[in-house]
Amino acid sequence: MKKVLCSFEEAVGLIKDGDVMTTGGATFHRAPMALINEIIRQKKKDLVLVDREPAIDFDILIGAGCVEKVRAGLLAFELLGFAPNFRKKSESGEIITKEGACQPIIAGFRAAAMGIPSLPIRGMLGSDLLDISEVLGSQQQFDDPFTGEKLIAVRAIEPDVAVLHAQQADEFGNVRIEGPKYEDIIKAKAAKTVIVTAEEIVSNEEIRKNPEATSIPHFHVDAVVHAPNGAYPCSCFNRYDADYDHVREYIEAVNNDQFENYLEQYVYGRDAA
Amino acid sequence: MSNSMEMADLMIYAMSREIKNHNSALHGVSSPLPVLAMSLARKTHAPDMAFISGAGGVDPEFERIFLSSFDPRQNEGASAYYGLHEVFDLAQKGELHVMFLGSAQIDLHGNTNLSVIGSIENPKVQLPGGAASAFLMPITPQVVIWSTRHTPRTFVEEVDFVTGQGYNHRTEEQMKNEMTIVSNLGVMNFKNPDRVMQIQSYHPGHSIEEIQEATGFELLVAADVAETPVPGADVIDLIKAMDPDGVRLTEFHK
Repeated sequence: MKKVLCSFEEAVGLIKDGDVMTTGGATFHRAPMALINEIIRQKKKDLVLVDREPAIDFDILIGAGCVEKVRAGLLAFELLGFAPNFRKKSESGEIITKEGACQPIIAGFRAAAMGIPSLPIRGMLGSDLLDISEVLGSQQQFDDPFTGEKLIAVRAIEPDVAVLHAQQADEFGNVRIEGPKYEDIIKAKAAKTVIVTAEEIVSNEEIRKNPEATSIPHFHVDAVVHAPNGAYPCSCFNRYDADYDHVREYIEAVNNDQFENYLEQYVYGRDAA
Repeated sequence: MSNSMEMADLMIYAMSREIKNHNSALHGVSSPLPVLAMSLARKTHAPDMAFISGAGGVDPEFERIFLSSFDPRQNEGASAYYGLHEVFDLAQKGELHVMFLGSAQIDLHGNTNLSVIGSIENPKVQLPGGAASAFLMPITPQVVIWSTRHTPRTFVEEVDFVTGQGYNHRTEEQMKNEMTIVSNLGVMNFKNPDRVMQIQSYHPGHSIEEIQEATGFELLVAADVAETPVPGADVIDLIKAMDPDGVRLTEFHK
């Protein structure tokens, strides 16, 4: 086992401009916000973001000018409304939006995790999304060779980088995720480079006391960063709840052209922990 | 019925009745009405159903609902975690029976649009996206669409973009499922030979004429059209207990 514990700066150094990136969690829950703030501070450019149902993690990167393309099943702020930067920059043409659907994105990650170029799925037939996807080359109808059933082949999605936030990890990259896992484990297996931030760094001895609790073993993980409160303002199960008031402040800032001030206050103005 | 709280409770009650005992049902993001409808069904007429939360929990016994339908606090008391990729496997096997989906536009044939207003290349409004719609609409036996804004802008003759496919899509041999729409005016479905939208019931205080007026195309009227049943005090108490803060009103205020 190799020690992969490092600083925010070193971890984000593994991300290149133009990388295809996915993030852990779903909507306002266990998104790797502290690491995303460091991506913004390092002014990464032209990222291609892919996920099933992201929220503020994608939106803040879009607002900060780090993103070229977005592929998401749904990108919104739940009952708080539209994802404000996503909507603005998508309508102005500043970012390219390739709207997907949840299952083709999840199946794409699963294909990459399995090490195969595509995975068949049902559904999708008749949706205009399928037409778009066929043009883009991310999905293709085919007849199943055994039954003749019309299915969709989803092309594998192998992100250059997956950034995940977990409750615990050791210095070697053994990761414990408590509560819902979303597609985090699949993403760790699918991505070429995996960065994990953790609320708490525990000893390898502690990890070995309960291997059942390990969600992702060390050989999938390239960097671990100690990040207490690292999902804030998103929730981290068993640690803290989502701060919906902060999300409202964020939305206000974007809608009142105060987003630069927001970044100044909460991102640029703060050093990585 | 002009009170939003009464309307929310009536819609939740109507949506809950789309779930039969022994069904498995799933809700997604931004879904306070579906979450409450599923929970209500489990507490009343469908005690043996499987409640699968988009937040990951199975049969949760949450204290109350939150502004995010994926909030982990809504998994409280769950008997298991079940990931979305696992739910999707279940759906492909035909064993996910009921799914609740939203829509920005819905048309005569039940096509839904959650992608863009205008064209996909040059969107006038970038909508959040279809989430599970395109995948689940053709393969889930009972699809329930809810809309708190029944207007000619949402109920359009033809959607700008087909995110989720209704009954006129290009592979009709797959469309064997049922779709019910619960709006703030009435309940619509497609139970007729042409598979076009028809009024099944109108909410108290509303009428067939009013629903037709608020719809951008001509609706059929079911032969057995009736007034939508009103929830009793016991049902309203159950809903209130699960949502003391009135999160369910959020969608009526937008």
